[in-house]
Amino acid sequence: MRARARFLTPLALAAVLTTAACGESGSSGTGGSADSGGSAAGGDACAPVAGDQLVVLEDDQQLQNADNIIPAVNAAAAAASPALLEALNSVSEVLTTDQLVEMNAAVDVQRQSAEDVAAAYVAEQGLDAGVSGGSGPIVVGAADFTESQVLANVYADVLTAAGFSATVQTVGNRELYLPALQRGEIQAFPEYLATVTEFIEGDDATQVASGDVDETVAALTPLAEQAGLVFGEPAEAADQNAFAVTTEFADSLGVSTLSELADACGDGSLVLGGPGECPERPQCQPGLEETYGLDFASFSELDAGGPLTKAAIQQGEVSIGLVFSSDGALAQG
Amino acid sequence: MLSAASTMVLAVDAAPNPWFDPSYVSGNWDTILPLLGEHVRLTVAAVVLGTVLAFPLALLARRSRWLAGPVLGLSTLIYTIPSLAMFAFVAPVTGLTATTVLIGLVLYSLVILVRNFLAGLQSVPADVREAALGMGYGRARTLWQVEVPLALPSIMAGLRVATVSTVALVTVGVIVGHGGLGQLITGGFAANFYRAEIVTGAVGCVLLALLADLLLAWVGRALTPWSRGARS
Repeated sequence: MRARARFLTPLALAAVLTTAACGESGSSGTGGSADSGGSAAGGDACAPVAGDQLVVLEDDQQLQNADNIIPAVNAAAAAASPALLEALNSVSEVLTTDQLVEMNAAVDVQRQSAEDVAAAYVAEQGLDAGVSGGSGPIVVGAADFTESQVLANVYADVLTAAGFSATVQTVGNRELYLPALQRGEIQAFPEYLATVTEFIEGDDATQVASGDVDETVAALTPLAEQAGLVFGEPAEAADQNAFAVTTEFADSLGVSTLSELADACGDGSLVLGGPGECPERPQCQPGLEETYGLDFASFSELDAGGPLTKAAIQQGEVSIGLVFSSDGALAQG
Repeated sequence: MLSAASTMVLAVDAAPNPWFDPSYVSGNWDTILPLLGEHVRLTVAAVVLGTVLAFPLALLARRSRWLAGPVLGLSTLIYTIPSLAMFAFVAPVTGLTATTVLIGLVLYSLVILVRNFLAGLQSVPADVREAALGMGYGRARTLWQVEVPLALPSIMAGLRVATVSTVALVTVGVIVGHGGLGQLITGGFAANFYRAEIVTGAVGCVLLALLADLLLAWVGRALTPWSRGARS
């Protein structure tokens, strides 16, 4: 009985919270003045508006580093079989952030297995056709979060279709898997362009990655060569810092990019939510202020793109919050 | 980049997330079975290798007090290394292989095995040993035919504890991707707290530990029929 009561309490609490959020979304319609049409409105034009659906405002001035999905391959394995990179590049050709969001949502929210989601994606996109020339075993590495698991399985399925016998091995973190990739214990890995570039470069003080995909690839190529790695083509899909608002908020102001938001919210009524380090990080609050000229009324300390931040945006506690661009929560219902 | 965890109010319909879900087990049997196999293989290999190493160490420790201190001290010292740190130390040498996990598991099993083997050997009454020597038994024969059988209850107790603790420790191998059922536990956490997956891994470990313990208890009973006779 006692254990049962303990289980039920959080459930009841969650139910109350959910209903509370619903009530708020109905009553807070006054939060944004409708169709302020991009001009700086006075007062509380950019106060939070509650809503269930989150939408990312486009980073049109490339404040964030380009963390596009890019296949990382062991140099010796790539040299031994050109079919390896060819097959992985065929994934990069079609993969978009929206598809990534959908696949993350299928695993994280709809509780499908990463293997099934990957197999369905490969079949749907026809990625298993038109690849060939592979042979021998390939181990695809995967980090221990949903997106990496799904992508590694997509890679493995495509490589299997190309004639390799591919398996997926989960490895906790980059400090372990990147050396393993260099040694050839694993041969392929779905990487993130800017993050892996900075990791291989090694020096925290110097920034070689940027918001520009081509420039970052150009910086990465010689670094990778020294490290015994080869990278394929970057995909359109990216998982990087992004700033999300509710669709209700975006619609009421008529904004879809951060620049438009800056134009619409000159009155300093924006409330920003994000991780504790956001006010110091150049790609968070200072970047938003300097690059876009945004002006914040206050900052609310939450988490790094986690449940706290997302719930705060949805419940109308913050106007705009830091999320990751491929988060399953961004899936359109 | 980081985990794409998401909870609470979401636009797409969230599937129910119960703690116990038999359909998860039946639907993912193909994933669970190889992990279970790896878990069993690692546990058995670690305990067997641990025994092979611990037995001579226990004999060495028995020979003199001067040796007992360092042998027991070293095995205890190794046990105090956090398991995550241990795998992180070993991984650069042996790579992302099951060997990395195995080395850690064997080293951890030593502290339990050496102590129990030593306690068992020391519990052999001195007059029994002298009687054996008096009957013309050589050293090796005394060890195998007199001392080891008498030390069996303590040896089996050590094996049981070491096996159960190894079953639990295998799960830490997830950091190099060879964590047996531990893959399910961390996999469930990573997949936005998928409870059925976490519980499957955790309950699987518990059942495996219980089963191994029962099996060893039964082996112990079969090997020491005299202790049963004495009790009844």
